[in-house]
Amino acid sequence: MTILISFDIDGTLEVGDPPGPLTMDMVRLVRDKDFLIGSCSDRTLSSQRALWADHEIEVDFVVGKHMLPDVKAQFEADVYLHIGDREDLDRQYALKAGFDFLWPDEAVAHPHFQPER
Amino acid sequence: MTTPTAPDAMYRNDEGLGIWEHRGKVAAVGVGHAPTARRWDGRPETCVGAITIDALRKAIADAGVAPDQIDGLVVVPVTTTGAFWEAGKSLPMDVIQSFNQTDDPLDGIAKLSAEWLLANMPELTNVQFTMYGPGCMSNALNVTAQAVGDGLTHTCLVVKSWHNFEGRYYQGGANAGNALPGTPAITQLWGGPASYSTALQFAEYCRKYGKHHDMMAPFMENSRRNGLRFPEGYWAQHRPEELGPEDYLASRWIAKPANLFDNDIPIMMSGAYLFSTAERAQDMQQKPVYILNHASSNTRPRSLVPTLDEVEADTARTGRKIYEGAGITAEDLSFENMYDGFSLFHQFHLEGLGYRGIKFGEALDFYQTDISIDGPNPVSPSGGNVGSGRSRVWMHTDCIQQLQGRAGARQVTGVKPEVGVSGGPMPLGGNYTVWSASPD
Repeated sequence: MTILISFDIDGTLEVGDPPGPLTMDMVRLVRDKDFLIGSCSDRTLSSQRALWADHEIEVDFVVGKHMLPDVKAQFEADVYLHIGDREDLDRQYALKAGFDFLWPDEAVAHPHFQPER
Repeated sequence: MTTPTAPDAMYRNDEGLGIWEHRGKVAAVGVGHAPTARRWDGRPETCVGAITIDALRKAIADAGVAPDQIDGLVVVPVTTTGAFWEAGKSLPMDVIQSFNQTDDPLDGIAKLSAEWLLANMPELTNVQFTMYGPGCMSNALNVTAQAVGDGLTHTCLVVKSWHNFEGRYYQGGANAGNALPGTPAITQLWGGPASYSTALQFAEYCRKYGKHHDMMAPFMENSRRNGLRFPEGYWAQHRPEELGPEDYLASRWIAKPANLFDNDIPIMMSGAYLFSTAERAQDMQQKPVYILNHASSNTRPRSLVPTLDEVEADTARTGRKIYEGAGITAEDLSFENMYDGFSLFHQFHLEGLGYRGIKFGEALDFYQTDISIDGPNPVSPSGGNVGSGRSRVWMHTDCIQQLQGRAGARQVTGVKPEVGVSGGPMPLGGNYTVWSASPD
């Protein structure tokens, strides 16, 4: 099963401003599980790329908040999930684009972010 | 001492006033900026009052003036346009009690009074003159220049600060309610985002002159580049991110055709200057920058949103007032630092000035040429709010530093910095200052 996860940055990832609860190691974990991953943020595309490069994490996409439909059109997956901290800019955009949605603290406890046994 | 708001007579609102009577007799000398932050972290030492004291002390030290020589203080009392202390939210008593207080517990936290500042800056023992310049540093600068020229103060501090709290800008305070009296019910409560009126004007501009939003990209890239060379600014201090065409054009719309980056990022900041008479300034630590004129626009639009025709008529009128009082022409400008927060109205200011001979409808084409600090036609060398965050202050600091020759990596090299102009905010309704390296 192919799972695609879109990460908001600020308020969601530990490297965001403000920092969020999802660590970069958690991102690496789902990367290692062969999930399709990327970021969906109001940060510029170039700064999103720079952030991932700084942490040596290879991502499949970087997009703006309004571009989740483009991600869905570009990638074939069984599950599309967006994780973010804002009702208006994350949850509403995600649901409108046909993504599942998790708040950051929900995501931390989700099986996706637990090591496989 | 109760601080008054500047009377209308202190502003130069009209055409035909002739050369400013204090042309070249007032000077800016010292500059001070506090560190920026995206939002207040709740600590006493980072509240808006504390950072204001920091900026003021830096301006005093920069000018090399003993605090007891300062006899004037001009303050912008409002420290936000969209971040309000929620009604009913408990007061941060630990912060409040860290300072000498006034009657208003949010003084120094969500607003600033001259009384609060003087109560917390015991070194300012001889301040006899205090006044409020409402809204912006642009306004307060006009007040300060006129006050020094009129002899109301001879060594005067002027300061503008911004606070930013958690939560969405413009969404709290009265805007969070269900009713507002009068026009704000339409413009704020049920209206569009803050950039909505500028977006409407820009859309009409594009239709009228056959331009398009993509043509803003070189201006945005240039502004952020300049801002990243502004060590006092937010982006340079916290997120040194360039804003290339792909970044800018991929951004989502806030009020189409105004996108996210056409709206400036709210921050915590404080900027202060020390003004004096030209004569006294000679003995201070920094090179004096002389004020050739100040001018204002108090034009009221006919309706809720100024039309493009009204914008163009008023920016042209402002340009004439700026030049008339300074005794200069557009050809005398070495550079311009007109306001840019929202970025989509910078070209209105530019065209009103007739900067480098451009006429209405030509600014976006001008943006496609070399507008960098290294070229012959520097546009917004400060980088403005696009380059350093929401303050309405960078443009003035940059004018002073450019003319003092200490703008560092931002120093214009394509022209000799002799005369600059800065001011805003809106194309209708703003205050402007003409700065010069020499008093003549």
